[in-house]
Amino acid sequence: MTPPVMPPVTSPVTPLVSLAGVSKSFAGVRVLKDVDFDVLPGEVHALLGENGAGKSTLIKVIAGVHAPDGGTITIGERELAAVTPRDAVEGGIATVYQELLLFPELSVAENVFLGHAPTRGLGRLDWTQMRRRARQLLDSLDSHDLDVDAKVGTLSVANRQRVEIAKALSQNARVLIMDEPTAALADADVRRLMDVVRRLRARGVGIVYVSHKLPEIFELADRVTVLRDGALIGTKPIAEVTEQSLVAMMVGREIDHLFPKPEPAIRETVLKVEGLACGDRFRDVSFELRRGEILGMAGLVGSGRTEVALTIFGITPATAGTIELEGRPVAITSPRHACDLGIAYVPEDRGLQGLVRPMTIAQNVSMASLRKVATGIFIRFADEALRAAASIKQLGTRARGPDQVVGQLSGGNQQKVVLGKWLETNPRILIMDEPTRGIDVGAKSEIHALMGRLAQEGMAILMISSELPEVLGMSDRVLVMHAGRLVAAIDRADANPESVGAAMAGAAAQEAA
Amino acid sequence: MTAKKLIRHETILALLVIVALFVLDRQSDRFFTVDNLFNQGRLMTEVGLIALIMTFVIVTGGIDLSVGSIVGMTAIVLGVFWKNLGLPLPLAILLALAVGTFAGFVNGIIITRFRVPALIATLGTLALYRGIAEGISQARSVRGYPEWFFVLGQGSVLGVPTQLWILGLVALLSAVALAYTTWGRTTYAIGSNEVAARFSGLGVDATKIAIYAASGFAAALAAVIFVSRVSTTRSDMGTGLELDAITAVVLGGTSIFGGRGTVVGTILGLILIQALKNGLSLAGVKSDGTVVLIGAVLILTILVSNLFHRDANR
Repeated sequence: MTPPVMPPVTSPVTPLVSLAGVSKSFAGVRVLKDVDFDVLPGEVHALLGENGAGKSTLIKVIAGVHAPDGGTITIGERELAAVTPRDAVEGGIATVYQELLLFPELSVAENVFLGHAPTRGLGRLDWTQMRRRARQLLDSLDSHDLDVDAKVGTLSVANRQRVEIAKALSQNARVLIMDEPTAALADADVRRLMDVVRRLRARGVGIVYVSHKLPEIFELADRVTVLRDGALIGTKPIAEVTEQSLVAMMVGREIDHLFPKPEPAIRETVLKVEGLACGDRFRDVSFELRRGEILGMAGLVGSGRTEVALTIFGITPATAGTIELEGRPVAITSPRHACDLGIAYVPEDRGLQGLVRPMTIAQNVSMASLRKVATGIFIRFADEALRAAASIKQLGTRARGPDQVVGQLSGGNQQKVVLGKWLETNPRILIMDEPTRGIDVGAKSEIHALMGRLAQEGMAILMISSELPEVLGMSDRVLVMHAGRLVAAIDRADANPESVGAAMAGAAAQEAA
Repeated sequence: MTAKKLIRHETILALLVIVALFVLDRQSDRFFTVDNLFNQGRLMTEVGLIALIMTFVIVTGGIDLSVGSIVGMTAIVLGVFWKNLGLPLPLAILLALAVGTFAGFVNGIIITRFRVPALIATLGTLALYRGIAEGISQARSVRGYPEWFFVLGQGSVLGVPTQLWILGLVALLSAVALAYTTWGRTTYAIGSNEVAARFSGLGVDATKIAIYAASGFAAALAAVIFVSRVSTTRSDMGTGLELDAITAVVLGGTSIFGGRGTVVGTILGLILIQALKNGLSLAGVKSDGTVVLIGAVLILTILVSNLFHRDANR
């Protein structure tokens, strides 16, 4: 571990950018609640949080992409209610996004100076100077091997990223926001990128570093800020936190008594997975799921939880290992096949994967079980509407009726429609991926109560969740994934924030390795 | 509910058709005669058959640009099998239909298995199938079909042109299939959100392949009727037919982005276009003027219907 080039700077220094009480809503959903945040010169400030915690929105507020609904933003001396992209450029704020915004058909030098190229009068470009200055910038990033005349489209992701950084520097950036810069990089490139970040810090640039990878954060960051559900959980010097305390901050420590979990009646094994793998997404995953059981699956984003679910549901068929359903080995090759076998999957992305939003509740509810409301190929519309009405009543969905378009419902009610769709198929195994993400508290506890009831009636439920309280509150057993492997299986009695959090951070993986 | 919004577009269109028929009737006393209307029906059948199935294709969010070329290819196949290979004509007809269906099936495979966007896949087969047609025909046309064959394209059954019966039957079947069956529901679901349809266990790929195969079959059926109507087979038959069909479908209110559209709308679109073409030429308007007017009507209708949709949607 290399020590930081500069010691962490503390308060008397004027921040380059500071946010006070910033809030932002999209379509009535609060994604940022009263957040304070600042960046000092010569520091790496890590921004952490699970998906949907509000990190992207926060950096877009700073970069001038989104205007906040409340609060103030101070850039240098200027206090603003909202940043425009122009304010951001003038204030020396540059962003390197996850999806790099470069022009693949233009050269490195052209990309670096796009929009502010040196000219020689009459608007002619000064190519010599452009190439020379691009060379200087890249050299200052220790990228001597990068040809300024190469087409950006031919470069590797790591090199393209350096071009983005050079571009930011060419605009005299004093604040550089990096959104998951290492997500797509190989190990060697990660090291080089971290060197570049350290160099920039030594030059006095303030860096906002968004990443899911905790080891990087401990190597690079001077301070770390954690967001959860759009709220600021805390900003701390890196010396005051550990991997486990960060995980606890990210996923929430306190377990409320919102979880109405009835006594489980666990019976025979329905699903047995052994040595399951799918390409390099995950490997060597083995577990059993029993009737009447809620099996929780925890893990950080990218640990392979959803990927396991997608494989069991047949979206990305397994490349190794076996799946046994009630003792019979099965090769699940498509969602349709999984459906016929009695497996249901309530997906993570409701809008994209779960619902056909322009269609009505009735049409969505019957979608996975169309054959049940059809005679031959002819749909019995009255029957379909009756079943949808029954589903609305059973799940307490707040809607005008089966004819209402699903896109008009709130998140919680949309989730109930997805759930209703799968309950219509009478599944043996119900996989729920982030069952309560983006749902208000009321609907959340209703869905939890329903899960408890279903399990009691004998359904086998595999629940994937990023919310530790939910995992601990609902699960009879907890599986923990880390870096594509199943690293722990913890019984309800032994599951607590410390044990699960440690496994999520990869503690068990190191022991095993 | 979506049906209400769709009916609104079709209502506008139906009113437009009535106004057009009324105005055109005032322009020429030959327009509203049984003979003329039946004749227009004959002319409309080929593009109509293709447009009916094209409605399904576009509702899934796809497009089939190769139908015109499939018409050319199957027409040639029909002629060559009958004349050059000496097969009995009914067998040659069946083989031509099979070839057309297979050509559509190939489109479906390219689109679903190899994930090529429909626009590009069928743009490719548009050239490919036309090339095959020209390669086989070597610029020779086939003539001299037996008299009974012309019943299909030139004759009548119970006083109504033969091909209008066929068009009516296909229209009825496709209207019912799209509106009332599990196939139709799957078609709409794919067009509205293909990922969610797949995640709901619907047979997305199988449905798409079946629809493109049906599109090829419709083109082949149109080709057989076309040959029978004009008594000859040429390799350039059906050139540009795909655009006429797409125009009718889109004019009928089907969203080019998928998820929305009805067979009734397509039928109204077909009638409006054919009525304008015929009525205006009878009224002495030159054909280039007619084309301009059809383009304007298409854009205006969609604009008006979008105005209504904007507040109805979301």
